[in-house]
Formats: sequence, structure tokens, C-alpha cells
Amino acid sequence: MDNQKLVFTPAPHLKDDLTVNQAMRDVIIALIPVSLVAVYFFKFYAVFMIAVCMVTAAITELVFRKVMKKESSLGDYSALLTGLLVALCFPATAKWWMGALATFIAVGIAKESMGGLGWNRFNPALFGRVAVIVLAPIIMLIGTNFLLVPANFGAVDVVTRATPLAMLKQGMEMPSIIKLFVAYPGGAMSEVSPLALLLGAAYLFYRGHIKWHIPVSILATVAVLALVTGQNPLYHLFTGGMFLGAFFMATDWVTCPITSKGRLIFGVAIGVLIIIFRVGLAPTEGVAFSILIMNAFVPLIDRVTKRISYVDPRLRGAVAPGRERATAKS
Amino acid sequence: MEVKTFKDGGAHVPHYKSFTEDKPITRMDAPEEVIIPLSQHLGAPNEPLVKVGDKVEVGQKIGEVDEFISAPVHASISGTVTAIEPRPAYTGGEIMSIVIKNDGGPQEFVSKEKRDPDKMTIEELREAIRDAGIVGMGGAAFPTHANISVKKPVEYLVLNGAECEPFLTCDHRQMLERPYELVEGARILMRTIESKKCRIGIEENKPDAIAAVAEKARGYDGIEVVPLAVKYPQGNKDQLIEATTGKYSIRGVRSADVGCLVRNVGTTIACYDAVVHGKPSMERVVTVSGPTVPRCGNYIIKIGTKIGHVLKECGVDDLDGYKVVLGGPMTGMAVSDLESGVVKGTTGILVLPPDMVREEVAYSSCVRCGKCVDHCPMLLYPNQLSIYAEAEMYDELMEWDVMDCMECGICSYICPAQRPIVHLIRMVKPTIRKMQRAAAGK
Repeated sequence: MDNQKLVFTPAPHLKDDLTVNQAMRDVIIALIPVSLVAVYFFKFYAVFMIAVCMVTAAITELVFRKVMKKESSLGDYSALLTGLLVALCFPATAKWWMGALATFIAVGIAKESMGGLGWNRFNPALFGRVAVIVLAPIIMLIGTNFLLVPANFGAVDVVTRATPLAMLKQGMEMPSIIKLFVAYPGGAMSEVSPLALLLGAAYLFYRGHIKWHIPVSILATVAVLALVTGQNPLYHLFTGGMFLGAFFMATDWVTCPITSKGRLIFGVAIGVLIIIFRVGLAPTEGVAFSILIMNAFVPLIDRVTKRISYVDPRLRGAVAPGRERATAKS
Repeated sequence: MEVKTFKDGGAHVPHYKSFTEDKPITRMDAPEEVIIPLSQHLGAPNEPLVKVGDKVEVGQKIGEVDEFISAPVHASISGTVTAIEPRPAYTGGEIMSIVIKNDGGPQEFVSKEKRDPDKMTIEELREAIRDAGIVGMGGAAFPTHANISVKKPVEYLVLNGAECEPFLTCDHRQMLERPYELVEGARILMRTIESKKCRIGIEENKPDAIAAVAEKARGYDGIEVVPLAVKYPQGNKDQLIEATTGKYSIRGVRSADVGCLVRNVGTTIACYDAVVHGKPSMERVVTVSGPTVPRCGNYIIKIGTKIGHVLKECGVDDLDGYKVVLGGPMTGMAVSDLESGVVKGTTGILVLPPDMVREEVAYSSCVRCGKCVDHCPMLLYPNQLSIYAEAEMYDELMEWDVMDCMECGICSYICPAQRPIVHLIRMVKPTIRKMQRAAAGK
């Protein structure tokens, strides 16, 4: 018997099928419904923005990894996912280079410069989106002088409408809850249909990529606080980046706490921040800022919620027999 | 009956038991030659009692040492000792072994007398078990007589019939085919540790075994079969104790001092054979399995039979690109040398075909998905441990309780980034042990 070519690797010898690549691909799949709704409303503007961001993401990742002399990791879909997420955070009619710049910052700076997937502290897509908002005045200054190359695919009649969230803030008459939930154009592409996002989220639950702790704690906190402050919670839940944030951004593996307990704390804190932003501060991007702020607290949350080992005498308290002996030893 | 389990972590792992679960135990013919390692247990290695050229009988003691934590070894076939020299061990490297050439005579062990355990003293029971060289047959291979030599009575005897490792069915078949011996063996062990209660934990995917053992246990007060949920690692000592008795293991405390003594069901049956028939540990039931193995089964195999011989008997010839695993696929060891022999702790010989073999892929950074944390039955942070282990950050490893890891392998099994977490942990443990000893010595 030829035993020269036996495979010799350490245990365990079985492996669950799930890989990071598959998980990332699944998230992209989960974003297809909302992308389709966006394309339905915004036509080629949406297609163009999504394409720009995903291509930028791929190029940025290739270049950064080349410069850092690392192997290409495009195959893990994480860059493409970030590109798609960034695109969905913009209105379809936003300047294309804004999307490109946000994507570049997301993939190049927020992810690759931090050590690549797994080492980033902030959600890359949100980081890129928010960076562009913060940098907007400077960008505008440069943009008006050098970079005015607007894409033009014909008029889309919805673009000039106020976003539902702004309407809420200004006390304007609101579209019906049902309409807001199913599909209502306005604001960023991801905001057009909470229903489509929910469909995608259901798929992620089904595939086991996300758990209920973060989305439920965010949405419940927002709903309760909205009620307390005398507002219709449904308007808060179905507008702005709420669903994208709660189901797709805050649940990002890399940038959320590692235990269920930590994730609950994380979600509640995000919910509180969102209401503070929405009720007290600017009416836009409250979700993005809230998640990014809480991203910064993740190491602290993990530390505070650190569980103790199964065999640690402290875990079983005084009822555990033999405890005296164990503590006397240590 | 109420199904019990442990609370924290664990995972559902595919069973792959259908290959052999319905195959009755059969005897594999004695090979031409056996290679019996002088040390097949945890503890002091044995000294040979025979020399080259000696004739030996089936069951004759051929190696022993005068140390408490040790177990003698016995000839598994009758024949001539042809060599006493280092031979390949399945753990890698070589180990001093006694080679016996088959003389073609009868190779079955014949009991000389039948003893009544109820008429034997505890000392005699322990001595019979020691003399027979019984060690933990679930894979741990700790000398059983050392386990059952307790200073004060132990509340529970817990028998491990969970067999939570995929593929393995040797315990299942033994429980099904020899429930009487199992229950009588349990009574022997209960006497040796002066225990009034015995819990036999069996995963509920073996309803026939549960029924068979429960039937035999009916007449005895205190002996109870506990059906367990099918969840890996249900058969690990700590999880089994929790599921069957509601007690918890504590770091640095022997389970006997928590009120539980855990033994494998196969070991228990071996103890019965040793006490009643004087039969030494010279053969054992081994599951030979794998999707491509022509004659899978549960075989009684002589200790020292070469793995290559067993596979040939089962119809396996081409192994190019395959992986051969001794034990279960979650914790067992891949073998590099088919010349090494079956030992007392060998539960299974598995042949994993290329499409099941996990190639050594380039793994990526931890993406903090938290799956290993969710599933770790020891409530550790395997993700952190793997990162610290890669960086050889020993202080952090100790702070995060790396030594509490019992290496069930769920973390590596589940990790989407393909990180060999448990392997990384295994690699740093010797260094940590050394550091802890040095610190204790100060």
C-alpha cells in the first residue's frame, strides 16, 4: 500500500462549509433587493453610482495591497461589498466622484491601512461616507474649480424632493407609513425601501450571518425613545439609514462586540445616539455617526462584558463543591 | 425520558455514523505480526518481561513497571518474540515495542476461571483491573486503576456513552450488544469508588442502545440511563458531568472531588471482562470507517495490529491523497505511518477521501464573527487565544485562560476564516506549562 502521499494535518479533520468569502457574498446577495428598488426609481443614476463605487473599491484594494506587498484579497468580496454599501449610502444623483472618494477612503484608509479585513476598528463604508460629509466644504472648493464632470442620464423627477426624515423634522405632511415601508424614493439609495432591506436581512438571519441582538436592540431602543419623546416610532424606524444601519452596518462582524451581551449594549447605545442626533442635532446621517461612535467603544464593551472560563471557580459561586480547595491552590 | 445536555456552547457536527452503526461487532483475524508498544497509557513506561526468542501465550503479561500511574501490557497473540526495539508510534516518532510473530496457534483468549465480583474485596477488584492493564478506552488512556483508587467515596459514577465524535460507533455497538456486561461493569466500578449512583449518558441518536442498557439497568437502584441531546462535545468530561449530574468541573479540582468519576462505556465493559474472566486489555473494538472504505465495520482488533493491515483487511488499497485518522475526526490524530499499531486507546481508524480532506489553506485574519466564542463549551475566547498564540504573547494567553481549553476543536471546525485555532492553542501549551511550573517553583 502506498502510504507516501497520506495527508497529514492537525485535528479537527472536519470543517464547516462557511467561509468568509461566502459570508461576504451572501451580504452582497442580501443587498440585491434594495439595489433593484433603487434602480427602479433612479434608473441609470443608481446603476452608475453602484458601478463607480464597486470598481473604485476593487481598484483601491488592488493598489493598496500591491503597495503593501500583500497578496490580493479581492476574492473575499469584502472590497466589493464595501463599494456597494458606500454607493447605497449616497443619493443616486450625488456627484459620482463623491462616491468614488468615499469608497477610496473606506477601502484604502478605513480598511487596508488598518491592517486589512479583521483589523479595522470602524465600519469602512460608514467611515468613507462620513469622511466625505466632513470633507465636503474642501471637496466642493476643489470640485468647483477642477472636477465638474457630472454624469447625465436624463431627468429623474424625484431628486429634488425632500427626504422623509427632513420632512419629519420640518413638520411637513408625511407620506403614509405603508408607502414609506414598502418603497418611497428620497434620500440615499438604501432609504428607498425598508421592506427590501428587511428581505435581505431575513436572508442573512437564515444563513446565520447575523443574530437578532444588534438589530432588535437598536430598533427597540429607537422605538421606545421615540414614543417617550412623543413621536411616531414608525416614522423613525422606516426613514433614513435606520434599516441599513441596524441590519447591515452595525452587525458588521469586524466592528461589533463579540459576545451577545456586548452586542445588546452596543445596540441600545446606538439607538440612544440615533434619537439624540435626530431629535436634537442634524436630521441626516444620525445613524452613520451613531454607529461609528459606538464602533470606537467596542474594545471597552468587550472588556467590560468579558465572560469567565467554564472551569473558573468564580463562575459557579459558593455552591460549587471543592471551591475552597481550588482557591486555596491558586 | 427527559433529554439532558450542557448549557454553554457546543455545535451540531455531521454524524457520518450510518456507515457502521448497524454493523455488528465482528472479530478480525489475528495478523502475522503484532507490534505492542510498551507504553500505551499516560504515565510511566513499562519494562519488558520477556526477551527476544521467548514463546508467549495470548494474554500473557509482557511488560510492567512498578509505578502507580502505569498499566501493564499483554501479548495479544500467541507466538514468538522476534524483537524488542523502537518502532513507529502513531503519535509520530518511535516508541519501544515488543514484536510478536504469530505461531499459527489458537488466538482467542480463554478464561481460566470465572470470578464473582460480589465476593471480591475492593482491593481485589482494583488489583484485577490493574493487572489486566485497563486504561481509558475513549482515547485518553489514563490507567483506570489509578482513577478508581479514591480516598473517599465518590457520589456519582458517570459512564460516557455519548460517543459524540462523528463516524465512531464502537461504543454504540458495545452498549447494544453487551448491555449486561456494561451494567455489571458499572456495579464493579461503583463498588471500587463506593458510589451509590451511576449515570450512563447516551446521545439520543442511539435509541436502541439507550433501550438495551436501560432494560438491563432496571433491576438496580441508582443506575440510570440519561438520554443526551446530540451536541458536540457532549462526551467531553466536563460537559458530560454537567448534563448527567448538574455538577460543574472546577479548574484544578479532580472530578472525583467534585463528586463524579467519569469512565467510558468500553472501559467499563473491559473492567467487567478483567474482573470476571481475568481478561487483559489485549484487543479492543475499533470502528473502521469512511465513505470509500469497502468493508466498514466495528471490529475486535488485536492490540499491536498494524493500521495498514487493518485497512487492507477492510478492502482499502489506494490511499493517495487520503487522510487516515486514528480516533474521531474532531480530536483524532492523522497518521503519517501505517506501520504503527492499534493501541488500547484507539477508538477508530477513519479513512477520509480527498474531497473530505481539508487542505491546508492559507488562513486569513480573524474577522471577529464571534462564532468560536458562541460555540466554545469552555466559555473561552478562541479568537483572542489564536491571535495571541500566533504572536506568542504568553502573558495574554495565560490571562485569557488558555490552559482551560480542552481542545475539542469546535473553534477550528466553525471558523469561516479557516484559522487553525485549536492547533495554534495546542502549540503554545507546552511553553505555558513550563512557565507555570517555573513560576510555581519560585
